[in-house]
Amino acid sequence: MGVTNQALPSGYQLLNYRIDRQISRGGFSIVYRAFDDGGGPVAIKEYLPSSLVLRTEGDIVRASTAENLTSFRYGMKCFFEEGRALAKINHPNVVRVLNFFRANETVYMVMRYERGRTLQQQIQMRQDQVSERLVRHVFMHLLNGLREVHTHKLLHLDIKPANVYLRTDGSPVLLDFGAARQTLTNTRPKLAPMYTPGFAAPEQYREPDRLGPWTDVYGIGASMFACLAAFAPQAADARLSEDHLVSAKKIWAGAYSDNVLEVIDWCLRLDPHERPQSVFALQKAIRDIPPRKRKLTFLDTLKKKLFSEVV
Amino acid sequence: MRFTIFQESRKGQRKVNQDRLAYTYSRDTLLLVVADGMGGHVGGEIAAQIAVRLFIERFQQEAKPTLKNPLKFLQDSMLRAHQALGSYANQFSMLETPRTTCVACVIQSNYAYWAHVGDSRLYLFRQGGLIGQTKDHSKVQYLVDQGIIGANEVVDHPDRNKIFSCLGGLVDPVIDLSRRTPLRNGDLIVLCTDGLWSVYPQEEIARALTGTPILKSSPTLMREAELRGGPEGDNLSVIVVRWGPETLADEPTTTITETLGLGEFQTEIDRTLTLTDRKGAQRDLTDDEIERAIAEIQATIKRYRR
Repeated sequence: MGVTNQALPSGYQLLNYRIDRQISRGGFSIVYRAFDDGGGPVAIKEYLPSSLVLRTEGDIVRASTAENLTSFRYGMKCFFEEGRALAKINHPNVVRVLNFFRANETVYMVMRYERGRTLQQQIQMRQDQVSERLVRHVFMHLLNGLREVHTHKLLHLDIKPANVYLRTDGSPVLLDFGAARQTLTNTRPKLAPMYTPGFAAPEQYREPDRLGPWTDVYGIGASMFACLAAFAPQAADARLSEDHLVSAKKIWAGAYSDNVLEVIDWCLRLDPHERPQSVFALQKAIRDIPPRKRKLTFLDTLKKKLFSEVV
Repeated sequence: MRFTIFQESRKGQRKVNQDRLAYTYSRDTLLLVVADGMGGHVGGEIAAQIAVRLFIERFQQEAKPTLKNPLKFLQDSMLRAHQALGSYANQFSMLETPRTTCVACVIQSNYAYWAHVGDSRLYLFRQGGLIGQTKDHSKVQYLVDQGIIGANEVVDHPDRNKIFSCLGGLVDPVIDLSRRTPLRNGDLIVLCTDGLWSVYPQEEIARALTGTPILKSSPTLMREAELRGGPEGDNLSVIVVRWGPETLADEPTTTITETLGLGEFQTEIDRTLTLTDRKGAQRDLTDDEIERAIAEIQATIKRYRR
């Protein structure tokens, strides 16, 4: 996209943090690696929507027109929502916010710096099929984090492999709460919802009143599906008109335990009521049945091989 | 390597976007790929997605940090993508194999190499003039070559969507490979789907992109093209690369790959996110409200710090 906002230069002193380099750039922000006073690394997210060109030089963010300023301030609310959501949560599987401040006419969120890569990258880089052990490990821990999020009456609403970070020790961290919403307040979300096709639940497209823990559960199911398939399931809005999604149980029969496959299919039900209604219910379903071990038949191996050609 | 790059995909007036595009680069090699999943066939977008992903993944396996043989890489990747689509259809017992066009370009050591299947195009412009392009595998292109219709009749022809080579088709794809083409600083490489070229003649694309920084001119071009598409507008996608460092004023936009380590890659896949805009919900946030929000968040952080 036409990103022309200039990133802060390496070595730039931002309050008591020194910018090292840009890590990533999203639709609404730039994330930098920086060092704090003690020389420890942190990740700093700078609110700077790419749709508005607000900084072509220097460090100060300037809205060129009144209309731009309105859009800029409006999007800032979203950034605050994310800060509010994360500030309350102190859990090893959820990204930790360390500081939040205003500078350069915009706002910044300082987060703990994690080493590793996203689950998305992990899926893309893998040579062969993801093992059931890995899927179970990542999602059981991730669900612990998500449970904590739900306990605080928050929904993530954008769970996907790109928003799950795998530390070098293999433990997952849930990232990017840019879409998170308070569910306690009765007011309908006023901000433009942003969702990722394939991972967003059907109710996110059509019935924002029906959002609940089951909405994130759909995202979890879709992410598990993506781990196995290396691509996202069919987008939920398309599924509502014509459902082409083949059940996980059908695709990977024999390659993974029935338990894991059934859980994926359960999470991906179109009707919110038919999915696990809470993270706890989901964890219970995964935990209840121990992974079944059996040898791959010749046919399974062949199937696996054919499939690995696809991705 | 130094270059400036822009990529964007727009849905036009269609319900789904079946175009997929991505670029990835190692320290010394850049790969661009655009695929247009074929509407009317099952899972066009799946086909485009699989093709693009396969190129990216093979590139990341083989560009270490350069490709031994870029043209062979392009040809093999096209064939592999074609086979992958067949396996995919098999795997899901689909009645019809998902199909897609594909155009891909490798730039390495100041040379460009490209390959295409179907009617997604590549143009190479130098100082506003066209010096290289792909030739569509389409019925209308054939009619033009035979002198049956003129080049200007292509975009309105009733058979303009008929292509005789694609990935995922019943017969093996016809893959056209370019020659090894030396690049000069300032050259523009444009990859696009028919949604763009059918409404924007090549001369106009050249004019729109020459003389202005591409990060400014390309978004305008895409907006205008979507408008021109009208109420029946097709998906349209583009990747524009301006080779070499930009002029002084635009330096911050130049991608410099020397900082990438060996074995490192940068990849941008256009994820075609859907952003719904609810009008009327906008209200300005005052300075006071900003300060209050920050104070509240900081207080919460402190409270939950353990």
